[in-house]
Amino acid sequence: MKILFALIKKEIKQILRDPSSIIIAFVLPFISIMIYMYGINLDSVRVTMGIKNDDPTPEVATLVKSFGHSKYVNSIYFDNLKDIETAIIRSKIKGAVIIPNDFSTKLARGQSADLLVITDGSEVNTANYVQSYALAIAINWLATSKYAASVKQPSINAEIRTWYNPDLNSHYFIVPGSIAITMTLIGILLTSLVVAREWERGTMEAMLATSVKTIHIVLGKYIPYFILGMLSLTFNIFLCIVIFQIPFRGNYFVLLLVSSLFLFTSLGIGLNISSVLKNQFLASMVAMSVGFMPALMLSGLMFPINSMPVFFQHLTRILPPRYYVSFIESEFMAGTVPEIVIANAIYLTILGLILFMAVYKNTSTRLEKESSHSVNGFRHEREVKE
Amino acid sequence: MNTVKIKNLTKTFVKITALDNLSLNIEKGKITGLIGADGAGKTTLLRTIIGLLIPDSGDISTLGFNPVTQKNELTPLIGYMPQKFGLYEDLTVLENLTLYADLKNVPHNFEKMLEFTKLAPFQDRLAGALSGGMKQKLGLACTLLGNPEFLLLDEPSVGVDPISRRDLMQMVREMINPNTTVLWSTAYLDEAHSFDTAVVIDKGKVIYDGRPHDLGATAQEFENKVIDLMGGYKQEPSKIAENYTLLKEIKECTVEADNLEKKYGNFYAVKNNSFCINKGEIFGLLGPNGAGKSTSFKMMCGLAKPTNGTAKIMGIDITKDPEKARSNLGYMAQKFSLYGSLTVRENLEFFASAYGIKFKNRTAKVQEIIEVFGLKDFADQKSEELPLGLKQRLSMACALIHNPPVLFLDEPTSGVDVITRRDFWNHITSLAKKGVTILVTTHFMDEAEYCDRISLFYHGETIALGTPQELKDKAGAKTMEETFITLIKESEGE
Repeated sequence: MKILFALIKKEIKQILRDPSSIIIAFVLPFISIMIYMYGINLDSVRVTMGIKNDDPTPEVATLVKSFGHSKYVNSIYFDNLKDIETAIIRSKIKGAVIIPNDFSTKLARGQSADLLVITDGSEVNTANYVQSYALAIAINWLATSKYAASVKQPSINAEIRTWYNPDLNSHYFIVPGSIAITMTLIGILLTSLVVAREWERGTMEAMLATSVKTIHIVLGKYIPYFILGMLSLTFNIFLCIVIFQIPFRGNYFVLLLVSSLFLFTSLGIGLNISSVLKNQFLASMVAMSVGFMPALMLSGLMFPINSMPVFFQHLTRILPPRYYVSFIESEFMAGTVPEIVIANAIYLTILGLILFMAVYKNTSTRLEKESSHSVNGFRHEREVKE
Repeated sequence: MNTVKIKNLTKTFVKITALDNLSLNIEKGKITGLIGADGAGKTTLLRTIIGLLIPDSGDISTLGFNPVTQKNELTPLIGYMPQKFGLYEDLTVLENLTLYADLKNVPHNFEKMLEFTKLAPFQDRLAGALSGGMKQKLGLACTLLGNPEFLLLDEPSVGVDPISRRDLMQMVREMINPNTTVLWSTAYLDEAHSFDTAVVIDKGKVIYDGRPHDLGATAQEFENKVIDLMGGYKQEPSKIAENYTLLKEIKECTVEADNLEKKYGNFYAVKNNSFCINKGEIFGLLGPNGAGKSTSFKMMCGLAKPTNGTAKIMGIDITKDPEKARSNLGYMAQKFSLYGSLTVRENLEFFASAYGIKFKNRTAKVQEIIEVFGLKDFADQKSEELPLGLKQRLSMACALIHNPPVLFLDEPTSGVDVITRRDFWNHITSLAKKGVTILVTTHFMDEAEYCDRISLFYHGETIALGTPQELKDKAGAKTMEETFITLIKESEGE
């Protein structure tokens, strides 16, 4: 116990004296939340598109006008296709709508009329917006135009209600989700360095020649970084809820409990990397690729898991961020949902324990792995199992 | 009564056999010196004795325990100081002591230890901010906590000045009791000569185990005998020197320091340093750790800007035209400063191009250097995999590739075994005879004897300057080591 306490005290002093751990725990979350809050917007955006009207009738002129009135669209009028192409190339407009000269004639005859929508496929998301905005504006216009009577009314009228996030504000799930990224950074990046550092500086060798046991070394790393992680988590939650006013409908106790489980798995990944590689540079590279990248890309935070290729969908299942992101999003927006909390908590606990055992196994009180050598002892009457 | 009993011990790593069927007994209550060339297996032996490494075959008993299976029972009884001392540089002196006391489960009585190591005034200083000698003392203090029955020190005196070395030895002798066993691995044969027992190992085998005095009555005789045991060193004409051609005809004072001064805040790292070294002279810069030797060196190479005064290399002012002055200079840094992941040949090619050797001549020049320096068998090996002695030879090859008339060597033999050192100095003295001017720093006092003149440096100032004999006469001492200590103490007294 005394040994463990001494190791924890030492580690905490080292953390306090190393500005980089404080930066990762408290400054980085602040910056990252700022970016997710103000820099990233997955909501519908206002796009600029061009319009070319080849059908100069008064009725169609009202359609052109309604493009100008939409709050989602800035429209610019063009006379020829060449100019539209130039404008798209220069990114002045993100797409264009071309009304053919037989547009009103066809509508008047009761036929379906054509509308050409050009989009810029190099920006797929924006292209989708252009396409759906153009269509929506045209349909709205049609319903109020004089051709309305000749168009068959749709037999189903969709009444849309968005639960949990009525404003469809993407910040409400991205900002809490970014906590997962910060927790991954603390859990994996910081800890991936700490064991490797002891090997590089030779302090591990000196320590192994004292009464230190494997469990002391392992817990002596887990506990201080767990404390640091929980402090950073509290700070993150404070930023989200108090400073950035993200609505929180869940339970604080459940939030802290599941977050601590996630931290436990992240620490396990980081400490495994560190104890196996014993080299700070390599460890930090591996930590970035197995820790940070999946948390960002394979957690479902930025890209929906359902739309990933099958292989990656399966890959997300074995990585902890997916479970934590799904938990934290629902905890913030929908409140505590027992099914989600329990399933994710169980998985994180199991993974955390497996990783803990792996760290224990990878930590030796010798300079090499024990299993790789066979020894024929001779006179050891006092043989004691380790 | 033996503290350690070893029988037929073998330990191999991927490519190398570090310990080869080695048998050895270490007597209780004695100080045993462990001597051997780099890569002879000294560190592996120490680590195996305390159970940090597991042997492939053979038996060890340490303090009656089997280190393979009973490491937990064994470790509380031993004190082990690894080569890097194992200090936490971001903890203070006192915090390091407290940590190791807790890890060893011993009470926090540090007064005696702090007083003895003279670290008491520095107890709140971070270990990383201590000088080399002080780090060593702190490392030893941490190792001595809990009065271990068996003390193992892995080359504790590498890179330390004679005064710190003497303090360290004194500290060990006074802190142990008559029953303590000490196993001390060292590259200093004068140190080993003062021990009760000397064990010489070579290529993983014990080649001598007995009283040092039985080999030689004096440290010098002992050294010669040990060299003979290790296969002997035959002085041959230096190929390196034979191959060298002095390109520039030069006058006197090829290297000149003119009132060189470096001030950090109110602290003078170097003060009023003036000297003039002549063509073909070996000039030694001696002094305790932290005396300002390295700072002087850096200023002379133009790597640090003097706050006052200047230095001239081949008459070119280093502060005015550093590039041109440096082109006359070969520099061998204290630490291995080549590219570890490049092969020997690639390193040489890089330095050849860095020194402006034309592409069409480069391959031939590199090949020639590889042969002259005896690196042929290792040419395509990564330089980080080389043993220390060869690394150091490669560093020298890189420093000499452009035939510089002046050579700067900053502790070139630190941590290098005795045979390699002799070989190295053979090349140095031969190069000097060919007209190369050499400025060298060292902590080996026997090496100081090779110098034509010595400047003894302390607290940033030259306290004595002259030939080795002149300095000895001045101090009234017989050996260079005594001279060093006497002159430093005298200067402190003033």
